[in-house]
Amino acid sequence: MSKEMIMSVMSKDRPGIVADITGAIYQLQGDLADLNQSVLCDYLTMILVATFADSVTPEDVAAAFSHIQSETRLEVVVKEMASPLGAKAKNVEEAYILTVQGPNKSGLVYRISLFCYQHGINILDLATTLDGDQYTMILQLDCSGVESIDDIRTSLTSCAVEAGLTVVLQHEDIFKATSEITLF
Amino acid sequence: MLRSDHILATVEMIQKENLDVRAVTMGINLLDCRGGDVRQTCRRIEEKIGTVAAHFVATCNQVSRKYGVPVVNKRISVTPIAFVGAGFDRQGFVELALALDRAAAAVGVDILGGFSAQVEKGMTATDRAYIAAIPEALARTSKICASINIASSHKGINMDALALIGQTVKDLAEITREQNGFGAAKFVVFCNQPGDNPFMAGAIHGLEEADLVLNVGVSGPGVIARALDRLIHLKGRDHLGLDDIAEEIKQTTFRVTRCGELIGRKVSEELGIDFGVVDLSLAPTPTVGDSVGEILQILGVDVVGAPGSTAILAMLNDAVKKGGIFASKAVGGLSGAFIPVMEDAVLAEAVGSGALCLEKLEAMTCVCSVGLDMIPIPGAVDADTISAIIADEMALGMINNKTTAVRLIPVPGKEAGEIVSFGGLFGASPIMPVRNVGKSSRFIAWGGRIPAPIHSFKN
Repeated sequence: MSKEMIMSVMSKDRPGIVADITGAIYQLQGDLADLNQSVLCDYLTMILVATFADSVTPEDVAAAFSHIQSETRLEVVVKEMASPLGAKAKNVEEAYILTVQGPNKSGLVYRISLFCYQHGINILDLATTLDGDQYTMILQLDCSGVESIDDIRTSLTSCAVEAGLTVVLQHEDIFKATSEITLF
Repeated sequence: MLRSDHILATVEMIQKENLDVRAVTMGINLLDCRGGDVRQTCRRIEEKIGTVAAHFVATCNQVSRKYGVPVVNKRISVTPIAFVGAGFDRQGFVELALALDRAAAAVGVDILGGFSAQVEKGMTATDRAYIAAIPEALARTSKICASINIASSHKGINMDALALIGQTVKDLAEITREQNGFGAAKFVVFCNQPGDNPFMAGAIHGLEEADLVLNVGVSGPGVIARALDRLIHLKGRDHLGLDDIAEEIKQTTFRVTRCGELIGRKVSEELGIDFGVVDLSLAPTPTVGDSVGEILQILGVDVVGAPGSTAILAMLNDAVKKGGIFASKAVGGLSGAFIPVMEDAVLAEAVGSGALCLEKLEAMTCVCSVGLDMIPIPGAVDADTISAIIADEMALGMINNKTTAVRLIPVPGKEAGEIVSFGGLFGASPIMPVRNVGKSSRFIAWGGRIPAPIHSFKN
C-alpha cells in the first residue's frame, strides 16, 4: 500500500535547494508525481505531490526536510492527501486568459479576484509584474460556469474603467494558436 | 501556463492593432440544384442555400464572440453559375442572379460570389448568354458578385471573350450610372482564377471542390504596419536591415494566420462541414491604419509608386506567404498582398497626387496578388482600351503562372482627378488617368486566342 502526500516549502532561494528537497523525498523512497515551483524576490516556494510507502508519515517527511541548509528557516507543510491522485485531473474547456494593465495602486488584485468570485469564475493561475509604475496581471480563468462571456466582458470593462485599468479577456485557444507550433 | 511575454504580444495584436478575420466564406456546390427549367432551378438554389447556410452567420457570430476576434464578413461562394445554368438564355441568367440575391438575403450573408463562368479556352452559347446577362444581373441585385476566368497559364487567353468583356465593363458602369458605375466594382476578370478564394468579388466554389467547404480570409495590413512601427521604434532604424523587417512580417503573419485558422476551424466544426483553406492575403480596407500602401511607406518610399515600391511589395508578399504557410494546415486562394486602389486610403492618395500611375500598378501586380483592382478610370475610356488593359494583366498572370485579375470602374461622365466614393469597404479614390486611350483597337479586333505559353507543355 502507498499514500500520497502534498508538501509545501518556502525558503530563501539558493543554488541546489531543489536538489536537496527532491533528494530528501528520494531518500524516503518517495515517488514524485507533480511539482510546481516559483521564485519571487529571491524567495523560493514549491508545492510537491509524491507517493510514499504506508510506513512513512508526514512527520518523517518534515524531519527529512529540516536537515536542509537554508539562510532562512525552511517553512514546511506536509499533509496526507484525502483523495487519490487520479481524481485531480480536471480538463478545463472554457479557459480564458485575462490581462489587466494599469498604474500601480493597492487593491488591484483584490478588485479583480473579487470580480471573478462574484461572477462564478475560478482563478487557475495568476502572475503579476510591476514595471516602473505599470502593473500587469495575467490570470488564467475557468469560465465554465459563465453563461454569457459577452456579459462578463461588458461588466469587466466597466469595472476596469472605474479602476483606471485596461483589461482584455480572450479564450486561451487564441494564445495557444499564436504562441505554439501545434494547434490541434 | 503560457509565457507572459507571448500573452502580452497577442493582447497587443488584438487590442491595439484591431486584429480581425476578414472573411469566412462558405462554398456551396449548386450543380445538384439544376432543374428542368429556370424557375425550378431557382427554387432549388434558394432551398439549398437556405438549408445549408441557415446557421452560418449565427455560428460565425457565436465563435467570434467566444474568441473575442471579429469576423468582418460572412460570405457565400457558389459553383460558377454558367455551369449550373447550362442551356439557359440571358433572361434565365438574370433570374438565377435574382434567386441567388434572395437566398443571400435570407441567410443574412454580406455578399455572394460565383455569378461566374470559365471561358479561358472557348465560349459556349451558354457562356455568351451569361456574359450578356451580367450588366442587368448586377444592376438588379445587391449582394451578388460576378467574375469570369478568361485566361490561364495552361490554355492561354481567350481574346474573343476579352473583347466582349471590355464592353461588358462599360455596360455595367453605364447601367449603374446613378451610383457612379458601382456595378463594375462587383465584377472581376481573372487569369488563373482559384476555386477556393474567400475574397470578393472573385470568390467561386470551384468544380474541384466538395459539396460544402469553409474558407477563411485572414488579413491584417494594420497589424503588420503596427508591428513594424514597434520594431523600428524599439531597435532604431540604424540597427535594422530589410532581412530583419522581413522576419518581423513573417512572424506577425504567422500569428495573424493562426487566429484565422482557429476561428475557421471552430466555425467549420460547429457547422459540421469541411474546412478548406486559409487565404493569406493582405487585404486593406479604407479605414486609416489598415493599408498595404502604409506598409510600403514605413519600409521606405515616401509615396507609393516611387521607385522601390515594386521591390518592397515583392518582399512583403513573400514574407507574408512564408509566415502564413507554416501557420496553416492548408493554404489556398489568392494568398498575397492586395493593392486595390479605392479600398486602400494610402494608394488612393498616391493616385490623387499623381505619384501612382496605371503602368506602375501593373508592374507591382507582377510581384503580388491580385491585379489591377478597384481602379476608377474616366468614363470616356473606350471598351477596346479597357479590353487591352485587361489583356496586359492577363498576360502577366499567364506567363508568370500566377493569378491576376482586373476590376476597373469606368465612372460615367467623370474625368481623371475627380473623386468617386462608393462608401463602406469599397472605399473612395480620385479617378486615375489612362494614357494612350483608343490606340489598341486593332489589337482587340483580332479576336481568337493568345496561345498557351511554352511552359504550359509539361506533359
